[in-house]
Amino acid sequence: MHETCLPHGPSGTQYQPPLACAAALGCRVSSFCCSDLWLSRTLFIDELGGDQWRSPKAEFSIASSLTHLLGYSYFLSAASLSECTMSNSWAEPVALGSDAGYGHGVPRPGNEGFMTIFARLEQWKQQSKISPEQHAHLAGLSRGEPFSLFLELNVLLYAGVLAFVAGLGWTVSTWSAQLGDLLILTVLSTILAVCFWYCFSRASAWSPAETSAPSPIFDYVLYLGSLIWSLELAYLETRFHVLSGRLDFDLLATAVLFFFLAYRFDNRFVLSLGLSSLAGWFGLTISRWSGPQDAAYRQYAIVYCVLVGVVAAILQRRGLKPHFLGTYLNVVANLLFWALLSGVFNREGYGLWFLALLIACAASLAWGLRRRQFAFVAYASVYGYVGVSSMFLRGISDATAILGYFVVTGVAMLVLLVQIGRRFGRSA
Amino acid sequence: MRLYSASSEETLRARKLLKDWAGEGYLTKAQYQLLEPETVSELRTTNIFLRLVLFLFTLLIVGAAAGLFFVVFLSRPSEQTAGVFSLIFAAVCYAAAEVAVSQARLYRYGIEEALAVCSVGFLCAGMQIALFSGSPYSAKTDAAQSLVPAAGAVFSLWIWRRFGFSYAFLAAMIFVPFLPGYWTFSHSAQHLIVAGFYATGLAGVAAVRSRHRSDYLEEGYSLVEAMLWLGIYLAANLQLLSLSLLSFNLPVRWWGVTPATSEFARPFYWGTWVLIWCLPPIVLARGFRQKDRFVIAVGAIAATLTIVCNKPYLGWPRHTWDPILLGILLTAVAVFIRRWLAHSPGGIRHGFTAARLSGKDKHWMNVGSNVLGLVSPQSITPEPQTSNPGVHFGGGHSGGGGASSDF
Repeated sequence: MHETCLPHGPSGTQYQPPLACAAALGCRVSSFCCSDLWLSRTLFIDELGGDQWRSPKAEFSIASSLTHLLGYSYFLSAASLSECTMSNSWAEPVALGSDAGYGHGVPRPGNEGFMTIFARLEQWKQQSKISPEQHAHLAGLSRGEPFSLFLELNVLLYAGVLAFVAGLGWTVSTWSAQLGDLLILTVLSTILAVCFWYCFSRASAWSPAETSAPSPIFDYVLYLGSLIWSLELAYLETRFHVLSGRLDFDLLATAVLFFFLAYRFDNRFVLSLGLSSLAGWFGLTISRWSGPQDAAYRQYAIVYCVLVGVVAAILQRRGLKPHFLGTYLNVVANLLFWALLSGVFNREGYGLWFLALLIACAASLAWGLRRRQFAFVAYASVYGYVGVSSMFLRGISDATAILGYFVVTGVAMLVLLVQIGRRFGRSA
Repeated sequence: MRLYSASSEETLRARKLLKDWAGEGYLTKAQYQLLEPETVSELRTTNIFLRLVLFLFTLLIVGAAAGLFFVVFLSRPSEQTAGVFSLIFAAVCYAAAEVAVSQARLYRYGIEEALAVCSVGFLCAGMQIALFSGSPYSAKTDAAQSLVPAAGAVFSLWIWRRFGFSYAFLAAMIFVPFLPGYWTFSHSAQHLIVAGFYATGLAGVAAVRSRHRSDYLEEGYSLVEAMLWLGIYLAANLQLLSLSLLSFNLPVRWWGVTPATSEFARPFYWGTWVLIWCLPPIVLARGFRQKDRFVIAVGAIAATLTIVCNKPYLGWPRHTWDPILLGILLTAVAVFIRRWLAHSPGGIRHGFTAARLSGKDKHWMNVGSNVLGLVSPQSITPEPQTSNPGVHFGGGHSGGGGASSDF
């Protein structure tokens, strides 16, 4: 149970606490590792941060006079009068200066209640809130003992793969005539075969749930193979016209392969590659986005968003790598809003697009609030504000009116967002 | 000097650690629920998304309010008047930021951050407009004009000390390279002055941060020290300016026109070459000794840049396969370190491990894999090479890792 509860990194390595500590941790409540936690982590949303409030005792005579100039008086007053959700009045009083002999963070004058993490841990141990083993383990972590190089090594691997493929592409493009097709294809095919052989031979049995990589370099080998595949396919098509110049087939095939690999090996890198390849197939590559007037691209974008969104929802509902949902939704939301905004910016026939934008904003807001994923609330706020502003300011050229609009609506948005934040704080 | 009390910030830090430990399973749910009330802070915080949106809207409001003021009350103000009012706006913004923190207890909430940023912007703009807007262009250096970037740097430093925003320190660092241009035309002297400023800052920060090991200020000082190391390295590396791999070419913008390497005296030029080879190991050694994540990262970045810049420094031609070798080197180093650490008892060697200990690492990996997976194929696709007209390798759209490219 513990193994399934503990989150895994892409490389699958996971620090195992000392045996004594592990035994102490044996009393963990398994329900803690519930699906909500999984979802929250996979969707890279810091929803746990919520919005922390208390009711300050401050008086606002100076505050309101100063902030009134910028239109903040309402906001600050509202904020100050708001009910608290995280009042510390019921928190246990904490003792001063019990640094547990670590010699860190000496309390300073005027900072009553200052307590380092070591002092807190010591206090919690003395109060039997944590076991001595947990105390030793957590104090060690706080001191950076051991110090994890997990992130740094992963970044180094990623940069290495990227530099390698970039150099390979540069070399192939520059020297293909001198090197010859045979040598280039042999080298590319060999690298590709080795990468995929490594992945398929090392991979564990497929599971619809989130799985860890069998080795620390596994994800990067797969990523390298995927990039090499793209390079080789493009080279083949360009030199031998395998697909008779139909680059869209090339992209579709690549997208299908990437989706297969992403689901087979549980890899977000390759999933993102698949999503961008599919977008490319829809004619939606970033560099070819020709501006807000292009209705064709807008339609492709919306079809893409609907297709990907529906498929992602179905896959999530069926329990097939449900942790991928966040990746899908973030891509879909941003593309959809861009597409709808481009329609709103049209000189004619923008009414339907504006309506669609409002519906999308409402959906995004509802989803964000319901799932406590503030990214979607932020999308709805920013994209919605831009769309609504473009409608209101259409045809208005008076600088005073425009600037006044931004001041008034900006303050309104600020207040609205703070209110939403309060609700999040309450329910979080 | 700092607006927030030490106890408040330390409590917030404890809260984050508690959440992280619970997420990693080091604490049970019951324990977390028991301990969490003890880490409640009086400060109001929010999540990163709301913080960003609030920051944006506050910037919008302040900008629009200032514009509205000028439009309504000052139809055609003189430059001095506009400058003075900009300075007043700077004061108002700063006062509002102070009030937002001291009264509303906002902490990294976006609003107070935007107000502080606006105050720096208004201060610099106001000083420039009020004092120097009418002054004619002169080929000679005008030391008085350095007042604007100097004020910007000092005020940014103040905001960093007062509010604790690390990016305010970065802003101060960005102001510094604008200073020596007003004092001397010598590019060598300019580089030396900038590096000197950063080195002085580094000495000060290194002296102060030793008192804050393992408390709430440690991360902030770590970030600042890392930025200063990076600043010194960038000031020392003369060939960085000529590299096109920096798409934004930020250093060039800092220094204006890119100086030719022949403008530098030979001893200075080769002195910097020695320095860029010496700095990365020094930074890495300090980072590993202090177990400082940001400093280690800067050391690794500096080492990579040194390898990349070495050929241009020596005047050797660059080859298309250089990135391949660099990629192999980076991968080999990563694999070697990982294995070296993993093969030790308990996977820990000299206090370091390759295993993941914090949920934050996984969080950043997830974010990185999502974002980089979408953008990296575009960024690594090379530009068409003119040296070989028989072969065309262009485009490289984001889809399919360049699979849409044509040769």
